[in-house]
Amino acid sequence: MKNVIAFIEHKNGQARRVSLEAAAAARAIADKLGGTAHAVIVGGDAAAIAEQVRAYPVDTIHILADATTDKLIDPAVDALASVAQAAGPSLILVGNTMIGRDVGSRFAARVDAGLNADVIEVAVDGGKVSCVSPKLGGLTITTCVFKSDYGVAAIRPNVFAATQGGGQAEIVEIAPSGKTYTVVVEEEVDEAAAELGVEEASVVVSGGRGVGGPEPFKAMLKDLADAFGGAVGASRAAVDAGWISHAHQVGQTGKTISPQLYFAVGISGAIQHKVGMRTSDTIVAINKDGGVPIGEFADLLVVGDAFEIVPELAKQVRDAKAVHA
Amino acid sequence: LVENPAPAGFRLSWRALPLKIVVTVKLVPDTNADKRIDPGTKRLVRTGVETVLNAFDEYAIEAALQLKEKLNDGSTVTVVSMVPESGKEIVRKALAMGADAAVMLSDPGFAGTDVWGTAYALAAGIRKTGFDIVFTGTQSTDAATGEVPGALSEYLGVPGVTNAKKVEYADGKIRATRETDTGYQIVTAPLPLLVSITKSGAEPRYPSLKGIMGAKKKTITVLHLTDLELAKPVGTDGAKVELTELTAPPVRGKGKVVTAADAADGAKQIVDFLKERKLL
Repeated sequence: MKNVIAFIEHKNGQARRVSLEAAAAARAIADKLGGTAHAVIVGGDAAAIAEQVRAYPVDTIHILADATTDKLIDPAVDALASVAQAAGPSLILVGNTMIGRDVGSRFAARVDAGLNADVIEVAVDGGKVSCVSPKLGGLTITTCVFKSDYGVAAIRPNVFAATQGGGQAEIVEIAPSGKTYTVVVEEEVDEAAAELGVEEASVVVSGGRGVGGPEPFKAMLKDLADAFGGAVGASRAAVDAGWISHAHQVGQTGKTISPQLYFAVGISGAIQHKVGMRTSDTIVAINKDGGVPIGEFADLLVVGDAFEIVPELAKQVRDAKAVHA
Repeated sequence: LVENPAPAGFRLSWRALPLKIVVTVKLVPDTNADKRIDPGTKRLVRTGVETVLNAFDEYAIEAALQLKEKLNDGSTVTVVSMVPESGKEIVRKALAMGADAAVMLSDPGFAGTDVWGTAYALAAGIRKTGFDIVFTGTQSTDAATGEVPGALSEYLGVPGVTNAKKVEYADGKIRATRETDTGYQIVTAPLPLLVSITKSGAEPRYPSLKGIMGAKKKTITVLHLTDLELAKPVGTDGAKVELTELTAPPVRGKGKVVTAADAADGAKQIVDFLKERKLL
């Protein structure tokens, strides 16, 4: 493989951060391969999104702006495949997100590409591309080299730097596939507690059994997350109790994330949860019990009443940020 | 469906034809076990770690069984799994829950199969079984790539609706509630198709005593590599990615433990710590 193609996810007229990270990484990897860097954008807002992506150092931005936004992933897969086939053997970077995995895996089957999920590093050696990924919930770290002409790497959000530069990208239109798509998105609903997904937030505030009910997820934890511009997460116990939806679950049967800062509020830190968040840069736990397992791997465990500390913390964080602003 | 397409415009024909419902399942190490890697062999230590049905797949089985029960028209649920023959008793759990039959893709030649090969071989097994709708779990709890459903739907040549937590069916179409990163979507799609089920789906049932007894009489078909007549090789030789290195993750040591005198003190200790780390 020689060229690198970043698949750009976007929502409400904004490119997702992980996609900008992919665009920047595409440049760095393409340079090592002696190839070109591309971005693919599909959907009604494609032209506007292309202007945002242009701040990143790709050579060509391919857009398909027809009204296919209510058709789930199939139009995106077709558009990506047409760009990839024209580019020749290439590495495709998608976000390790719900959409990125779906588009990447479906595309991979079409061109018999190798797949690497949850990639935290891409290396090039003698023209061969390999990907580093934590496996088994971070228990081991694997390096896998692609043996196929095309490869798909789903990159973990918040790991690759979204370095800007360039601004010279040529914008070209992708020819519509002409296919009829049968899957129709009839309704899209954003739930109040979840403006940002836990996978891409740089700060995640998670609650567990210790927060006692659904209310803190909507108020207390949400407020602390908002103070950082972060997202609300949860342990399995909280999700199983029905306090918050599964999309927020961090852990083995939920999401594996590595934000810059992770707050574990009223979470004991059982292995199930630990494997989903242990690669966070900094972990701060608040728990009334000083003997909880999370104390063994958190950078800071504050023993005290979360219901008192968290609201006060949100206030102090806002004050601290106001000083800098 | 694939073999018996309904006449165009004759919607009632969907009710007349029972559905062939397929569920894919994977066997994984027990999620609650504290797994470790043998430093010598660099492989997962399996001693003392129980093998179970992938938790997500149990939700897929439940969705399939609920669809079958609602249709109540002779529609069948067949479980398809790529699994060594030694996994037969665990596959039987799906039959005890209420699936009608199981197909095991078992062959030493599958060893070393990657995500690509898994999807490719499963698609061949499912085509041999016949299907109108395929349910999968969204991901496995061990490899957790979440990439098999997407690749599988492509190899089956049908649309894929992933991360569904609720699926209703009428007149040859499904209406599914899909989990998204920030909420949910309602999507509709005609059969044939693949639907992956997330953990927010209906709680999987426990096998009843009657189900467990009945499962012993149900058919488990074993398909070997040659039975699948694959055009491309799978297993280690056919894999599109090759594992070259396994390393241990950096060890995360015990950090500071402090006791909050009161709310203001607890919050201040955190703020000071974050400032120290330049996070504020």
